[in-house]
Amino acid sequence: MIMTLVPTGVRRAAVAAVAALALTGLAACSSDDADPAVPGAGGTAPADDLVAAAPVAASLIPGSTMEKIKQRGQLIVGGSLDAPLLSQQNPATKKVEGLDADFGRLLAKYIIGKPNVKIVNSASETREALLANGTVDVVFQTYSITPERAKQVAFAGPYYSSGLVIATKKDETGIKAPADLKGKTVIAGANTPAIPAIKQAAPDAKIVTFGTDPECVQALKQGRGQAYVQDEALLLATAKQDPTVQIQGKPFTSDPYGIGLKHGDAQMKAFVNDWLKQIQASGLWAKVWKNSIGTVVQGEAPQPPAIGSAPGSE
Amino acid sequence: MNVITDHLAEFGDGLLLTVGLTLLSLAGALAAGVVVAALRVSPVRVLRAAGMAYVEVLQNVPLLVWLVLAVFGLPEVGVIAGLFTTAVVVIALYQGAYAAEAIRSGINAVPAGQGEAARALGLTFTQSLRLVILPQALRTVIQPLGNIAIMTLMNTALAAAVGVVELTAAANRVNLAEAQPIWIFVTAGLAYMALSAVFGLVTGTLERRLAILR
Repeated sequence: MIMTLVPTGVRRAAVAAVAALALTGLAACSSDDADPAVPGAGGTAPADDLVAAAPVAASLIPGSTMEKIKQRGQLIVGGSLDAPLLSQQNPATKKVEGLDADFGRLLAKYIIGKPNVKIVNSASETREALLANGTVDVVFQTYSITPERAKQVAFAGPYYSSGLVIATKKDETGIKAPADLKGKTVIAGANTPAIPAIKQAAPDAKIVTFGTDPECVQALKQGRGQAYVQDEALLLATAKQDPTVQIQGKPFTSDPYGIGLKHGDAQMKAFVNDWLKQIQASGLWAKVWKNSIGTVVQGEAPQPPAIGSAPGSE
Repeated sequence: MNVITDHLAEFGDGLLLTVGLTLLSLAGALAAGVVVAALRVSPVRVLRAAGMAYVEVLQNVPLLVWLVLAVFGLPEVGVIAGLFTTAVVVIALYQGAYAAEAIRSGINAVPAGQGEAARALGLTFTQSLRLVILPQALRTVIQPLGNIAIMTLMNTALAAAVGVVELTAAANRVNLAEAQPIWIFVTAGLAYMALSAVFGLVTGTLERRLAILR
C-alpha cells in the first residue's frame, strides 16, 4: 500500500529498474512477455493464447510512426502497474496483467510481429506530455476520451466502455442511487473521472480522495466516507473479495476509454482503429475481456463500443 | 490562461488550506521542538534518551509513511480523527524533530558561562533554560527555523496523498478536468514560491531585529 504512494521520482526509478529487468529478460530470450514461440516452463497462460491468436498487420506505411516502432522492435506504452484487472504487475512473475496490458501486447504484435511492450509508468498529470514529446508511442491507461483532452492528444477507439458504480459498507441502507449522495461524504480515487461525476450527480456532496484503490476501500471501511464511487470492474473485484463492501445499483455513467496517440498523427490513429475493428470482428476483443474483467463480471462479454463514437475520438 | 481564471475558486480554496495547514503545523512544530530540545539538554539521563529517541524515530521515517500510518493505521486501533487534523498533528510532530535539532544547536551556541552564571544565581534548570538560555538560543537559530518553516510548507503537499485538498490536490483536480498540466502546475508552483518568499522575508526581518552578534 505504501509502495504505491512513493513520490513519482522514486516510482520512476523503480519503473526504470523494472524496465531494465524486462530488457534483461528480452536479451536472455526467456521472458514470457518477449517471445511466445519459446515454450514456457509451466504451460501457457491464457494471455499467451491471446497473443498467439492475434493478427499481424499485412503492411506498414513507409515512414509512418508504425514503421519506426517496428524498426525499434518495441512498443512503448504509457500505462499503470497498479490498476487491478486493467494493468497490474504480478509481483511473482513480473508480468503486467489486465485488459489494458493485454491490448498493449496485442497492438505490439500487430505492429512488430512480436508482443514486445515496454510500459512506462505514466500518470494523469503526465500522459499528454509523454505523448507530445514522444517518450511513449501509445497510452493504455483507463484514458477517458474527453473533448478537452482531444485538443492535445489523438484518441483511437474507444476500445472499452466502463461505468462508475457506488459502493458502501454492507449495513448502509440510505444510498441506492447517485442522487442519494447529496450531502454525504463520498470517497473517490484521486485523478479519476469519479470526481466530476459525483459533482454532477450530487453537487453538495463532500469528496475525499485517496491515491490508490486499496486506500479508498480502507477509508470506506474505516468510515471516512459513506460511499465510494469507482469503476464498476474494480469495485466488483473488491466486493467479491470483501464481504463487508456492497455495491449499490447499476453503473450511472458511461466512460469511454481511448488509446492515447500523438496529437495529429492521423495515420497512426486510422491504423490503430483498423486493428481495433479487426480484433472486435474476430472475437479476440471478447476473449481479452473474458481474460481480465470477465473474471469478476458475470456473463458474456459486452458489445464493444463503436469506434469513433465518443466525443473527442472522431 | 483560461484554465487558471476559470478555476480561481478551486486554487483559492487549496491555497487557503495549504496556508492553514502550514501555520498550524509550524506552531505545533515549534512547540514540540522547544520541548524536545529541552529534553535533549536536560540533566536527567532518561529525559535525554527520550528526546533523542523522539528525534531519531521521527526523522528516520519518511513523512509520507507517517501520514499513511496515521490516516489508515490509527483507525484500526480505534483512534480516528479528521483528515485535516491528522495531517496537522503528523506534520507538526515530524517537523518538530527538525526544529528540536535546530534549537539544540542554538542552545549549544550559548556560551557555557551563561548557564554557569544562571546556576550561580540559584536558578533551577527550567528557570535558567527559560530565562537565560532559550531566549539567546532561539535568536541565533532564526535562519535555520526559517528553513524549517519553508520545509513545512513544502511538506504539506504530501497531505494531498491522504485526501486533504490543499493546493497540490486542488491543482490535480483542476488538471483532471482541463488536461493542461503545465499551466496548472506552474501556477501551483508559483503560489508555493510566493508563500515561501513571504517566509523568507519574515525570517530576514526577524533576524535583523533579533539576531545577537557574537
